[in-house]
Amino acid sequence: MPTCAALTLLAVLSGGALAFAEPQAIKTSATGPTPAPASNPDKIWSALVVATNADSPKDAPHELREFAPRLKRIFGYNQFELAGSATEIIDEKTENWLVPSQIFFFEVKARRAASKEARGGYLLNLQLFQDKRPLVNTEAKLAPGSPLFIRGPQYGKGQLIIVLQVQH
Amino acid sequence: MKPFEEQFTAWVDDKLNDAELAEFEKELTTHPEAAAEKAEALKLGEFLREHPTTPRLTNPDFFNHQLMQRIAAETPRAAEKKRALFWSVPRLAWAGAFSLLVSFGLFKALIPTGHIEPSKYFAQVVEAWPSDPSISATTVYSPEDNVTVVWLDGLEYIPATYALK
Repeated sequence: MPTCAALTLLAVLSGGALAFAEPQAIKTSATGPTPAPASNPDKIWSALVVATNADSPKDAPHELREFAPRLKRIFGYNQFELAGSATEIIDEKTENWLVPSQIFFFEVKARRAASKEARGGYLLNLQLFQDKRPLVNTEAKLAPGSPLFIRGPQYGKGQLIIVLQVQH
Repeated sequence: MKPFEEQFTAWVDDKLNDAELAEFEKELTTHPEAAAEKAEALKLGEFLREHPTTPRLTNPDFFNHQLMQRIAAETPRAAEKKRALFWSVPRLAWAGAFSLLVSFGLFKALIPTGHIEPSKYFAQVVEAWPSDPSISATTVYSPEDNVTVVWLDGLEYIPATYALK
């Protein structure tokens, strides 16, 4: 009798463990990186923002709404205007030019980051130009929802800020 | 004063000293049958010495062996039970069940399950090289805002009259 009870308990526990393990395996395989569909290629969006302090600040334009609170906290300005923006399809084979304004623009080389934590992001080689003069060359990893801010020169009583973001 | 029986036994065994013997012999006058009893006792002792009641063991080792076997056969089997094999089927089954329970507990406690929320932010500046020595580039990460900023210093001021577009 104790033998039967012990064997029954063992069988029940084994079955439970197997049943518990099975969905995990499925979950694990499902969480792997998924390639971006060819019909909806990734893009990189950039914006040239003029940040100023105004007595009665205007609302940030629609494109900047998600960034405005953070821009305000980091740079200390209360008004953000869009001086220009540009969106380009990310082409890993060639160099891309990202021109949010005729004054400030980027040369971009991109390749998809292979690591799992990159969440479909890219390793970007960005060269920022002011007019035709190169200012800085940056290697950065960016993923959708993770913008990069570049603090540019003083402009009038404000500041120029460049925002970069990868979009799916 | 020793009782008569004790003195009589010592007298039979010739263990009385002279004084005791003299005194006891006076007392024997009142026991005329004592001399006959002593003779009988001596005779019986000699007879027993000549004819011992226990038989002489011809093979004492064999006798001991048989005796030990009999003792072993009549001893309760508790000692044998202690030597029983530990890995009997019920014990193996219980051990397996216990191991599974422990494994399950460790699995639940140590291995995260369900949906693991990935980090919401992924922006990392690997390197920044200013093209002009007068320009410096500093990378700042603000954990509160989850923002990475490349902070450029040394850039020329642009007047507000300058058209950006």
